[in-house]
Amino acid sequence: MKKINFGLLLVYLFVGIFAIITVFPFIYMILGGLMSFQETTTIPPTFFPHHLQWGNYGKVFAEAPFAKYFLNTLITASVTTIVSLFNSILGAFALTNLRFKGKAVVKVIMLSLLMVPGEAIIFTNYNTIARMGLLNTYIGLVLPFLTSIFYMYYLMTYFGAISPTIYKAAMIDGASDWEYVWRILVPMSKGGLFTVGLLSFISGWNSFLWPLLVTNEDSMRLLNNGLSAFASDAGSETELQLAAATLTVLPILVIYFIFRKQIIRGVVRNDLKA
Amino acid sequence: MNEEKFIEVDNLQKVYEDNGYQAIKSVSFNVKKGDLVCLLGPSGCGKTTILNMVAGLLKPTSGDIRFDGKSIINTEPKDRNIGYVFQNYALYPHMTVLQNVMFPLTVGEHKKNKREAQEIAERYMKLTDIMRFSDQRPVRLSGGQQQRVAIARALVQEPKILLMDEPLSNLDARLRLQIREEIRALVKKVGITTLFVTHDQEEALSIGDKIILFNNGIVQQDDIGQRFYLEPNNQFVANFIGNPVIDNFEVTVEGGTVKGSDFAFDQNLLSEDRFKSPLEDGQYMLSVRPENILPVDEEDGQLTETIDDVELIGRECILKFTHDGHQARSLIGLGDRELHHGDVIHLKMALDRVFIFKPNGERVY
Repeated sequence: MKKINFGLLLVYLFVGIFAIITVFPFIYMILGGLMSFQETTTIPPTFFPHHLQWGNYGKVFAEAPFAKYFLNTLITASVTTIVSLFNSILGAFALTNLRFKGKAVVKVIMLSLLMVPGEAIIFTNYNTIARMGLLNTYIGLVLPFLTSIFYMYYLMTYFGAISPTIYKAAMIDGASDWEYVWRILVPMSKGGLFTVGLLSFISGWNSFLWPLLVTNEDSMRLLNNGLSAFASDAGSETELQLAAATLTVLPILVIYFIFRKQIIRGVVRNDLKA
Repeated sequence: MNEEKFIEVDNLQKVYEDNGYQAIKSVSFNVKKGDLVCLLGPSGCGKTTILNMVAGLLKPTSGDIRFDGKSIINTEPKDRNIGYVFQNYALYPHMTVLQNVMFPLTVGEHKKNKREAQEIAERYMKLTDIMRFSDQRPVRLSGGQQQRVAIARALVQEPKILLMDEPLSNLDARLRLQIREEIRALVKKVGITTLFVTHDQEEALSIGDKIILFNNGIVQQDDIGQRFYLEPNNQFVANFIGNPVIDNFEVTVEGGTVKGSDFAFDQNLLSEDRFKSPLEDGQYMLSVRPENILPVDEEDGQLTETIDDVELIGRECILKFTHDGHQARSLIGLGDRELHHGDVIHLKMALDRVFIFKPNGERVY
């Protein structure tokens, strides 16, 4: 008879329990979004809806401008991702390959800034944005997130892994720094850039506090804020809240699902977490 | 135009700012147009530093470098008209072989259109025999093939000067022999002036039109290959060049006699015309190439030694013995005499081929 590996069994059990704990709310959210109001509130709770109430989604779209929220979120998340990626590439390149006076000082300053939590400067940022008259604008929503020291440092580990002789070779081949960055550095660091892009997009999509501060018009809201407003507006219509929540999370779930390998690889390889 | 001084390195000096290390003390040399010159020296002697300064990848602390009479010290690497082959080849891993070779023609101010670039690239790929790898990524190629890609990429801009930094050190021994001959044939065919950095004396001797030997950041000898062997400038050169290494015996010169431990001979036995300076009384180092100290009959012997070990190296064998606490060697032809560990031999030095150095390394004889 084969011996049962109790250690491994324990590991699977542990992982299994945690998987259920994490995944269950998502599944219930999706299912609950398709239940009728009664089903969401009965005790004992229903798990599988009797009839799939697709109409809930129609109601959600009718009661709040979710399409607009969706568009707003897409715009801000994309713009922050593209611009911060662009800036991080150039910054990381400069700190990796270029030689300039005070480079070490710049690095130390950047590193110390990295240690300041975002929440600590959110009020000053708000003040700045407000004084610039950028409340309720896309620019106001994205401006503080267009550069990221974290992503820059993250990319530096990728760029630093490329042999410095590659840069020298490119110099001798006659490439300018600009050509080096786009023809060699970027294609050679696809993995890292992809990870940064994803992380940036996801965190842009999930942002809550900042958009809550700088927008108060319904037309400028992002999905998360829209959802929380909807939760209070929709009051007791739990099934609609769950449907709205599904709408909010779904795109990011799809992205996670498609790119899960890259995300895990990217985060694990550099021993860094967002 | 001065063909003899195609590359002029003039009083070059390099001190690293961050740690104050003086990598290059003062180096001057000239390279003739079309020559393949080896920069030779042990690791850390500054040979790659010099190459990088010639390439413009490193800024010298002082001194001048001239190409064809024009100072290029303030010229960007890309405008120096050079090709560079790196030790690790530095191929772009995300590009195919063709794209790698074409790359220099598709960037910068002298950009060519794609068709022209491809034509030129293919010409050099044919020359280096890598056409069949055209669409492959460098990772898929062997070390020798990657090497050729790197050379093709260096030549594709048709530079006036080719710089190679230990291009053979990542290859296995057999391939190294083959590629070094190919490199020599190729650069001679293209007619390009080449600086070739190596730490391997055999490599330098076999492919260099001229060798410049460095140590401690200065030129030890700048000469054609065989002169390093036959006429070393100083003790360092004598010790560095030659395999097996030269035998050194401490001697004292006193009243016309050269005395070592256990041996002595009359100063008059040395050839008059080989003295660089008069041999005054004092301490010296007598250096003999192992093939110039050979076993002889007992009555002709200057030294009597016991063999510690016999090492076979192909057609020859090295007899190792200990003299005055230091190991010394005699190189004899295989089959000349059957000798074994523990045998007692009598050795005689060819005094017209020995060297005598002062304790500071300066050569006297």
